Amino acid sequence: MMAHSMNTRRLLPLLSLAVLAMTQAQAQQAPGGERIQREKTVTAIASGKWTGPRLADGQPDVQGHWSNTIANHNNWTDPQGGVPGDPGRNGPPPTPRAERAPSRVSDPSDGEVPFQPWARAIQQEFLQYFHNPIKEQYIEPLARCAPAGVPKSFTWHGYEIRQYPGYVLFLFNSGTRVIHLDGKPHLPDNIKLWNADSRGRWEGNTLIVDVTNNNAKARLARTGEFFSENVHIEERYIFNSDGTRYNYVATITDPTVFTRPWTATIPARRFSLRDEPDGWHYEVAYANQPAGKPPLIERYERICVENNGPFGNVAVLSAK
Amino acid sequence: MKKTRVAVVFAGGLLAAAMATAAPNIPRLKSGKPDFSGIWETTSAAEYDLEPHSGRADAPPSAGVIEGKTIPYLPAALEQKKKNFAARGNDDPRLKCWTLGTPRGIYYREPFQIFQRDRDLTLLFQFGHSVRTIHTNGTLHPEVTDNEFYLGDSRAHWEGDTLVVDVTDFGTETWLDRAGNFHGPKLHVVERWRFLDENTLEYQATLEDPDVYSRPWTLSVQLHRHREKDFQLIENYCFTLGYDKYYPVPQQGTTE
Repeated sequence: MMAHSMNTRRLLPLLSLAVLAMTQAQAQQAPGGERIQREKTVTAIASGKWTGPRLADGQPDVQGHWSNTIANHNNWTDPQGGVPGDPGRNGPPPTPRAERAPSRVSDPSDGEVPFQPWARAIQQEFLQYFHNPIKEQYIEPLARCAPAGVPKSFTWHGYEIRQYPGYVLFLFNSGTRVIHLDGKPHLPDNIKLWNADSRGRWEGNTLIVDVTNNNAKARLARTGEFFSENVHIEERYIFNSDGTRYNYVATITDPTVFTRPWTATIPARRFSLRDEPDGWHYEVAYANQPAGKPPLIERYERICVENNGPFGNVAVLSAK
Repeated sequence: MKKTRVAVVFAGGLLAAAMATAAPNIPRLKSGKPDFSGIWETTSAAEYDLEPHSGRADAPPSAGVIEGKTIPYLPAALEQKKKNFAARGNDDPRLKCWTLGTPRGIYYREPFQIFQRDRDLTLLFQFGHSVRTIHTNGTLHPEVTDNEFYLGDSRAHWEGDTLVVDVTDFGTETWLDRAGNFHGPKLHVVERWRFLDENTLEYQATLEDPDVYSRPWTLSVQLHRHREKDFQLIENYCFTLGYDKYYPVPQQGTTE
């Protein structure tokens, strides 16, 4: 899981001490395993007016550190259900399905990805071989440090949003996305990218992003869900006006793979100085401030492939 | 006739003086500080070889970009540089698409974009996958001293309209160019960024490393603003090229 080159182990205890007084009420458990999992429900947020703070260019100010509230990328439709067939710590828990968070598929209502039969078979095949990847294509690209892409990045570690006139920037643990707000045309459609090509606009509290040019190489989760290069995604990032949460609601259309368009919902919350860095959702450091200055959060560089940082089940770079 | 000429020379002198301190009409943030936002790229051959060199199979000729022409290596380091040069076809970290580092990423021949706020500048490089933050909020380098960043830890201040960046906490797995010029873990870089005109930046970097160089030395390149219509960065995560033939899933009716 080391995806950056700071000495986390040494830095975190030092930093924790420095801010113990202000964070002990909200102290959180160390990351890893099921403790990445948090909430079991999706908080509803309606599209509407933005009444929170704005940046000088008029954009709602949503800058800062965010992470999904539910779980990581182990399982797309049963996010807290582990990876079926996992012999290790990521296996399915003994709890009944109803006691875990809902599927990330919010439409159709059965929570299932509406795969065409051939595509369902491919997804099942990937899952079957996930723990015994006898072919290169059964290894998830993220395990080789490839960007998690759209939409998987929203379930993989915390991330930072920075905003500028004409741009919203997502700095993920694995990859970077630039949302262009200036209405320029998409790239030529034969250019395919891990993080796709994004054109956005704000409507009230909602950032609406048109996503094309997806190379479709990243699986959506370890359970193997996927789409093709023909995929078109319309994202709606619906922020609440107190700036504490947003819901990522994406309509995914790909007649090559699915029987109908479907909707993914990934709830996220903001992390701030009230939270203690945890190395997963909130992978930050306290800035070294001159004496007397208030605490400030900052983000170090993320590095993966240089650190031989591939991870996970039989993650190998043999194809290099 | 003579009078006119004097006047012209005089005016030219004023202009030169003005340009040395503050270029006219440069973009500025609301705070009044120069706004480096934009997509930039050098046209120099610095990244092939910082030092003067004739043309060769893997580099166009260049008079170099170093004050004093060559890097003042200590004797053992010079031997290492020669080894690096001989092995550059295999050992250059660029060939693995690894993060190029500071300063190499700045004069690599692919565009990078600067996003700027009062508190920081964000440098997003088309090549590779790492994002560099230059802090302009008065914060200091981290207290821990064993960080090994590919891009270094960057803390900056303003000297007039010049952004002066102090960069420390480096590792050793970055080179300075394709010719095997290198640094050690004690590398300390001081960058100076300033506008020459609204579409041109002067970028200077002074490098010191007591284990590798006999004295600090300075390189300088110009960076030009991309002004093509609808120009944008196109991600180049080229380290994935070795395995991305295994993805995505072949569409129905096609064969693997």
